[in-house]
Amino acid sequence: MAKTPVMDGLISRTVERHLPWSVHVDLTYRCNERCIHCYLDHEDHGEMKTDEIKNVLEQLAQSGTLFLTLSGGEIFLRDDLFELLEFARSLHFDISLKTNALLIDAERARKLRALSVRRIQISIYSAEPAVHDAITKVRGSLERTLTAIRFLQAEGLQVKIACPLMKQNLMAYRNVQALAAELGVPYVLDMTITPKMDGDMSLLQLRNPAQDLLPILQDPTLNPPSSSQDSAQEAPLTTGSATSSGIESQAYEDIPCSAGHNSCYISPYGEVFPCVQMPVATGNLRQQRFEEIWFKSPEMERVRAVRESQLPVCSKCSIRQYCERCPGLAQMEGGDLLGAYERACDLAELKAGLAGVQNPISALHAQKPNTKGLCSIPSLVATPAVQAGSN
Amino acid sequence: MKGYIVRNPKLAWREVDGEMVIISPEDSQVHELNETASLIWKHADGRSLEEIAERISTEYEVSLEAARADIGELVTTLEQKQLVFVATEVKG
Ligand code: SF4
Ligand code: SF4
Repeated sequence: MAKTPVMDGLISRTVERHLPWSVHVDLTYRCNERCIHCYLDHEDHGEMKTDEIKNVLEQLAQSGTLFLTLSGGEIFLRDDLFELLEFARSLHFDISLKTNALLIDAERARKLRALSVRRIQISIYSAEPAVHDAITKVRGSLERTLTAIRFLQAEGLQVKIACPLMKQNLMAYRNVQALAAELGVPYVLDMTITPKMDGDMSLLQLRNPAQDLLPILQDPTLNPPSSSQDSAQEAPLTTGSATSSGIESQAYEDIPCSAGHNSCYISPYGEVFPCVQMPVATGNLRQQRFEEIWFKSPEMERVRAVRESQLPVCSKCSIRQYCERCPGLAQMEGGDLLGAYERACDLAELKAGLAGVQNPISALHAQKPNTKGLCSIPSLVATPAVQAGSN
Repeated sequence: MKGYIVRNPKLAWREVDGEMVIISPEDSQVHELNETASLIWKHADGRSLEEIAERISTEYEVSLEAARADIGELVTTLEQKQLVFVATEVKG
């Protein structure tokens, strides 16, 4: 959602009042692609049934949720998807979908339009079929996805491309950028590769070393000066997680992000987490009511109590302004919701260097005597910082 | 006061602190209504404008004429923004 004064004011109010106004619900972890970077197991361990999900949606509407993101896994593998969408519409949610679009044909696009779905986010890894299909492990998937995008556009639906970047497709961001321009749709590059849900860290091998991201951080087409950005328009690049709510605001002040403050995540099994990227279990909707979990869970309260100014390491960091630390990743990668973690520090040092900071070094690296700041390239021409991706 | 008012069914909306927040799925435009406009919106389910004027007159303890005048202006604005539709007759 674009940043506007109205949205900023609303975000402040919802944060102050702890209104869960943006909720991401995964309807299934099953999928018809097998993306090499995916953190899910693709099994059905007892997904919520249609009536259970409807009940959850009713509770969310009563609690004040406006923004509803339905995702997965692949949502079109749920036979009841349209029934659920219809129900969500009757509750007046603003509906966004995340899908690989393989199962969207002209008829389904028409139905999505009739149900007033506002936005459909679709992952594309490259405009070259060989690269995209090697990541999804489904031959012909790029072509099918592009055909679906055209069906959606023919219905006047808003499509957004998400492009997760890994070693296999780092420089493909340029052809994805060109493809988005050709299609006339916004796009987001996502440099986040997360560990698997079961804690398996092997996926992190797919990540580009921070230094390899320099061409992206320096690319002026991705880092337009803020003065030239129309505030009513979506910024072209966010480097945060494509899985997050997409709502960004300066209203968060001393809190790390929206997780647990005005947004949360619900799994196909009814588990509630502060964010899809924050593995802090707060309760299960099969046993408790949403409001009980949202307002009373001690874990949710613990997440809500975190203040940036009190973080043990990060609050003392001289390059904090260049950092896009995600508390969820801090938990997953560093084992501490309040802690610093290598990846965030490496990227922050790179960005600070690009902005002209001499010998930038994060507070985490400064604590370790033998660790040098990753980036010492003050001679490079400074480019404006990439927009903060935390939301 | 003539006419019947109904919300644009395509819109998404929720009440935040007594005020309506409305989003249009076509252009992602966000609208925030003030208290009186929110009240009109809540009742805009096909009922008559006269009935809404009566409610507002009672709720805010203002004369029916003053309520009608207020509503008239607000409804025109809501209609221009395509947030509501006003019909002269209820469709059977
Ligand atoms: S910063 Fe991390 S935990 Fe917070 S909303 Fe974004 S992805 Fe979730
Ligand atoms: S750069 Fe590292 S130490 Fe500094 S704020 Fe970010 S995560 Fe914390």
